[in-house]
Amino acid sequence: MTDVAMRERTPPPATLDRPLDYLHDAHTLRSWLFTIDHKRIGILYLIAITAFFIIGAVAAGLVRLALVVPDGQIFTNDTYNKLFTIHGVVMVWFFLIPSIPATFGNFLLPLMIGAKDLAFPRLNLLSWYVFMTGAVFTLATVVIGGVDTGWTFYAPLSTTFSNTWVVPALIGVIVVGFSSILTGLNFVVTVHTMRAPGMHWFRMPIFVWTMYATSLIFLLATPVITMALILLVMERAFGIGVFDPALGGDPVLFEHLFWFYSHPAVYIMVLPGMGVISEIIPAFAQKKIFGYKFICYATIGLASITFFVWGHHMFVNGQSEYASLAFSFLSFAVAVPSAVKVYNWTATIHKGDIHLDTPMLYAMGYIGLFVLGGLTGLFLATLAIDEHIHDTYFVVAHFHYIMVGGTMLAFLGGLHFWWPKFTGRMYPEVWGRISALLIFLGFNVTFFPQFILGYLGMPRRYHVYPHEFQLLNILSSAGSTILAVGYIFPMIYLLWSLWFGKRAPSDPWNAKGLEWTTSSPPPKHNFIVPPIVDFEPYDYPVKAGESV
Amino acid sequence: MSDRAAIGVELAEQFTDVAQQRRAATLGMWSWLLTELLLFAALFLIALVLRILHPDSVREAAHHLKFWIGATNTAVLICSSLTMSGAIVTSRLGWQRAMVRCMLATAALGSLFLVFKGYEYYQDYIEHMTPFLAWRPYELSGDRASQLYVSLYYVATALHAFHLTTGVAILLGLAWQARANGYLQRHQNRIEIYGLYWHFIDLMWIMVFTIIYVMNR
Repeated sequence: MTDVAMRERTPPPATLDRPLDYLHDAHTLRSWLFTIDHKRIGILYLIAITAFFIIGAVAAGLVRLALVVPDGQIFTNDTYNKLFTIHGVVMVWFFLIPSIPATFGNFLLPLMIGAKDLAFPRLNLLSWYVFMTGAVFTLATVVIGGVDTGWTFYAPLSTTFSNTWVVPALIGVIVVGFSSILTGLNFVVTVHTMRAPGMHWFRMPIFVWTMYATSLIFLLATPVITMALILLVMERAFGIGVFDPALGGDPVLFEHLFWFYSHPAVYIMVLPGMGVISEIIPAFAQKKIFGYKFICYATIGLASITFFVWGHHMFVNGQSEYASLAFSFLSFAVAVPSAVKVYNWTATIHKGDIHLDTPMLYAMGYIGLFVLGGLTGLFLATLAIDEHIHDTYFVVAHFHYIMVGGTMLAFLGGLHFWWPKFTGRMYPEVWGRISALLIFLGFNVTFFPQFILGYLGMPRRYHVYPHEFQLLNILSSAGSTILAVGYIFPMIYLLWSLWFGKRAPSDPWNAKGLEWTTSSPPPKHNFIVPPIVDFEPYDYPVKAGESV
Repeated sequence: MSDRAAIGVELAEQFTDVAQQRRAATLGMWSWLLTELLLFAALFLIALVLRILHPDSVREAAHHLKFWIGATNTAVLICSSLTMSGAIVTSRLGWQRAMVRCMLATAALGSLFLVFKGYEYYQDYIEHMTPFLAWRPYELSGDRASQLYVSLYYVATALHAFHLTTGVAILLGLAWQARANGYLQRHQNRIEIYGLYWHFIDLMWIMVFTIIYVMNR
């Protein structure tokens, strides 16, 4: 078999001192909406998920507003149910899941492994359109019509009892699932086949490892929930009865299928954040990352174990006690690779040349909040304690420590860290630090009281509660206003910096990694000269006496 | 066979060489198939769960399925995989016209499957074996769980038929493109990749047939 290459790879024409970058390559709206450049698609995702985040955050604000008074006077029950459903659906399906993979992953993955683009650029654009179609459709449904099932769509509420627009909301979520699958497919193939010469597996940045692990979860878990949601649509439209005990079905079966995806989805949200933190910390400690291979193995370990712990969401729904025991044990096992990562990050910081710039503040906040979120996860994995605190605010606080304290902080940290690379501009450092501190403070004031509330027995998803819980609820709502300010500042100053920020050099943080070797912003095909990798990852200067 | 065309692959911009492009395309299709496998796997799981929960009802329902139409269709699809393999082999040899004929034969067999499948659905309809139609009462023996199993049969076979319909459409599109001279010189890759997908649809039918029709008889 002979392969005939029809086109020769041509070196780009010689340029002036500043090569034409991807932002200035073309200016029309068309050049953005039909782009197949992974960097531009990353930016398209960034704009979209920011818009979705605002909608989800407004809904969260209204939920916190409703909870200021104990007797549920502010909204009706139905409105309250619809509000927390908007918050959950939008934040989970349209913000957290695509957040880091679809934005930073799209932008950085090819840069970090020294490729010109992802393996399938047109498929990449298609997945953005699929995402937008599904997301906008569902968003319109939950905002205009309203859905009251929560983001989990549990049967029989979603199949039999809800009188809201469940079917269209489900269809949108199903469609968005395909966008995840296509992105995951693209990343897996890109990591396997597009690495630059010399970039072997153990020279890849941790961020690439986490993208790879996340993509595997996209590929293996998403189709299962797609089928579960299709059956839910069938159930509602035709009453076929797979999840209806009156017809011989089983509602718990839906929970199994749902969590077979949705627990791994937690790692779709967490692993990329870990990847971001693993890039930020060595850069701002100016030190080689501690235990590089252990972090790689821990990443793959987490992505594997996560497929076998779904039953810990179902300890009280009547599943077999032996199954619960096994799921409890396996859930404890998750703590091991998580702890490996936390210790490795702290060991990296230890005796480093620490710079407390904005990304590092977010990273430090991340470590602390992730530890709290992770440890409270162990409470929930303990069968006896879970009997007491399941479906309470303890659970709400736990997963917000992971999702907001973890993923959201990593997202913001990464956004500041790579902002110079994305845009070619520096953000204002002082404002960055102020917002990072506000978010850390606001987050803790919002969510720490919820641990106490939950432990005292306040159930989630109710807006009428006993009077003695009011103080803690008001504290939590007050904290959310601080958090809101912390979110609004970056939206303003980052936009401002697009025009008025200082021009960024190619490596403003003195960080290592291929993405910092090209200009800021990068040229259309990422590298003027295709890179050859003959160095180890994170090759920060080694100080005298430091062991590596 | 006559004219032997040069074969090759047009290099897309993002790749360094053709070998890399071929590797990427193959791995991409395998990844997609992995996802598809898990999509069907959820249905197979439910079929097995139903069998464990309601063994008698499931057996009752499975007796109403048209076993011989399903078996014939299995044979038809296996033949279509053979012709698809023919298309791949001829494409590697550069026999473009023979390849197009093999592809058309494959599409014809795929369509034959759909015709049989349609006939089977028609028979089901005549027998009032349509529990999901509110206006048409279910008239076969068996309790609600057996009706549930029948509904699952519809979901599984319809999902497969949807894949096959898409498959035939893409195949016809490829065959249309491959009329032009020099197609193999630019896109031989596509035939290989598409072949994987076709064989997968065949494999999924074999699994649907085994799990839904055969195992519960």
